[in-house]
Amino acid sequence: MRSDSSISQRLQTSRLRRYIFTTDHKVIGIQYFFLSLAAVLIGAVLSALMRLHIVWPKAPAMRPETYLSLVTMHGTLMVFFVLSTVPQNGFGSYFLPLQLGAREMHFPRLNAAGFWITLASFLVLIAAFHVPGGPSLAGWTQYAPLSALAQAGPGQGLGTDLWLVSIGLFSLGSMVSAVNFIVTPILRRAPGMTLMRMPLTCWAWFVTGVLILLAFAVLLAAAIMLMCDRHAGTSFFVPGGLVMSGKPVDHRGGSPLLWQHLFWFFGHPEVYIAILPAMGLISHLVSVFARKPVFSYKVMVAATIAIGALGFMVWGHHMFVSGMNPYAGFAFSALTTAIAVPSAVEVFNWLATMYRGRIRYRTPTLFSIGFISLFVAGGLTGPVLAQPALDAYVHDTYFVVAHFHLIMAMAGLFAIFAATYFWFPKMFGRMMSERLGAVHFWITLFGAYSTFMPMHLLGIAGHPRRYAELTGVQYVAAMAPLQKFVTVAAIVTICGQIVFLMNFFWSLRKGPTAEANPWECTTLEWSLPSPTPARGFGDKAPVVSHGPYEYHSQPERGYVMQNAAPREDQTLI
Amino acid sequence: MATTHDRVDIERRPKLGGGGPGKIPHRRGFGGGDDGGDRDRSGDFSSSRQRLRRGRIGVAVGIAGVSTLFIGLTVAYMVRQSTPHWDPILQRDIYDWKPISLPYRQLWINSLLLALSSATLELARRFMAKKEEFAVMCILPPRAPWDWPWLNLTVGLGFAFLAGQILVWNTLRAQGWYLRANPSSSFFYLLTGLHAAHLAGGLIALLYAACGRWLRVRFESQRIAVDVTAWYWHFMGLLWFCIFALLHFAKG
Repeated sequence: MRSDSSISQRLQTSRLRRYIFTTDHKVIGIQYFFLSLAAVLIGAVLSALMRLHIVWPKAPAMRPETYLSLVTMHGTLMVFFVLSTVPQNGFGSYFLPLQLGAREMHFPRLNAAGFWITLASFLVLIAAFHVPGGPSLAGWTQYAPLSALAQAGPGQGLGTDLWLVSIGLFSLGSMVSAVNFIVTPILRRAPGMTLMRMPLTCWAWFVTGVLILLAFAVLLAAAIMLMCDRHAGTSFFVPGGLVMSGKPVDHRGGSPLLWQHLFWFFGHPEVYIAILPAMGLISHLVSVFARKPVFSYKVMVAATIAIGALGFMVWGHHMFVSGMNPYAGFAFSALTTAIAVPSAVEVFNWLATMYRGRIRYRTPTLFSIGFISLFVAGGLTGPVLAQPALDAYVHDTYFVVAHFHLIMAMAGLFAIFAATYFWFPKMFGRMMSERLGAVHFWITLFGAYSTFMPMHLLGIAGHPRRYAELTGVQYVAAMAPLQKFVTVAAIVTICGQIVFLMNFFWSLRKGPTAEANPWECTTLEWSLPSPTPARGFGDKAPVVSHGPYEYHSQPERGYVMQNAAPREDQTLI
Repeated sequence: MATTHDRVDIERRPKLGGGGPGKIPHRRGFGGGDDGGDRDRSGDFSSSRQRLRRGRIGVAVGIAGVSTLFIGLTVAYMVRQSTPHWDPILQRDIYDWKPISLPYRQLWINSLLLALSSATLELARRFMAKKEEFAVMCILPPRAPWDWPWLNLTVGLGFAFLAGQILVWNTLRAQGWYLRANPSSSFFYLLTGLHAAHLAGGLIALLYAACGRWLRVRFESQRIAVDVTAWYWHFMGLLWFCIFALLHFAKG
């Protein structure tokens, strides 16, 4: 795209241009990473406040509205700005071109635009803390009519407007960057990098790109319609006959269910947008650290695509309790159960990959195994919740909270940690401490299980979710000790993340210098020195003649880099 | 281990298939795409072709996104139209969708304008492609017959279409079909408004190309802008007819 002279010119440009206003995919990846780090810290503090308030309502005294606004902001920050930002846009922007052997994303400027739009969206969302009334109360799902009426609560005025603007911008930013994730793997693969030689991470980023492009468009449409309801007097989502504070609401005939359909048509693929890159990454790491090829690579690719496709057909399972036609419920239930099949295929393939492997227990391995464990633990309640009859009972209880926090939040987080420990040497040129990494892993693993496992019991016992305070309800009061345990576990887990932050920032400056390929990995990014040079592969594209997971069963035969010279017995066609 | 080869080598390198280790290489596994080499260099002809190709692919993917947005709205339209709402006072379901009375004459004129603009833009695109063959050789292209300022004409027609849509909205407002009057009119304004907003985006790109000489844009960039926008513009025309058909046939 640029001639050599312009590259050397670019290298001489100011720091501001090199590290801030840049179209370099590597810098953009790191920018996304730090954006998500900021979001996850805020989100974690919010969750600690909520947990404290649930068990000790006087400790952080807050109005119920404030509690709800914390629920909204925690969910929005974590789902949008952490789980769907860093695995896809953060690590994807950085490593997709490198793993494909390309010098850049296909549209570098679009990539940069995606980041800046996302940053703007983040700032708009955070601004809601500082407006009169505070942030929105309607949760990350923003169900209408609560979200459509400014008089419905303190955060439902400007706070909700900001939420909608922020999510509109986020949709735009995500779609803009998704274009790159779709086009780059199609057009920018290095010579010899056939589709079936792409690392599974690249497959996951590609499928997720398609999901983002299609799902966020619908969310954008829904957000525009909700904005019209709020400010132009339309009635898409607001039903007639509402009376609020003694005054009839000037809307008629809208359908709140329409919002739910539109939202969950986005919302369910969104779950896979968060978890598919994580699954691709774990497939990759399990193979690297078990020193074995991925068990049935092609089936893994097929499973990834199947999950992506089925992900668009199951949104109704979020709405079983909304009074849907039983036949529709049955269809959604069957499809939801069906999506467990490719997910289980992936799990079994991870286990088969590890089986009889020579597993190296480094920090990324620990977090990968933790991911699989949490994915199974959270996934097993999926088919339970997929039954409309069972879902009707546990839907509004902590059971669902436990389910999605284990499978989406915790599993996603473990994948992010695994990726951070794994790629840190390539991103920053230094190694992270293995000892602190192990400490961090065990604290987080025990913390995650002790926080979310008891929530299943709370849910089965009928403890409703979303309430700020349930004093005076007898059967709920009996569960107070368990709730206290959960809170303590959550706070210990959050404090445990200080170990990660210490490790991260200490290693950034003082960690031992990393070699080019510290994990003895086969993919192309490890053929470059660490940290990745600014020019990446430069003018010389690597030539790929091997699959991504050529680890030999005999240790002495080692492994084959993707860009190693072709084997002698390899037939050339 | 890490081997990098020269570019000359790259192009001769055979393409191999196969996934994991020990697989027999086969051709079927090669899934299209180019060989990813950085063949594009700015300043020569192939670079301009690369940029054109990039732009076209970008627009194709963008069109997929925009389509989903409008498919989502169409589904919402259908659902909203067919579902009654429960009236708590009358204690029964009410179908409150009132078919909107479309100002057909104005809409047909607008459609004609948009179709014409698509045709003129296509002509502009083709003439510019021809001219570029001369431009890369730094030759002033000979003036071809029918080489009118098609691009400017397209911009004019685009603005005329937008103005026409505003007139349609005014007509409807004068008849009492406000945005909030009925779900049918809400959807009408939403669909046409979003279409107009998307079209305006294309119009900005065309303006950029049309004012290229004042903005000192290189001819090749101008040509790429026109080419890429042409695809988008045709899609916008098609989308308009889809919306028109939806509003006419699914009036309710």
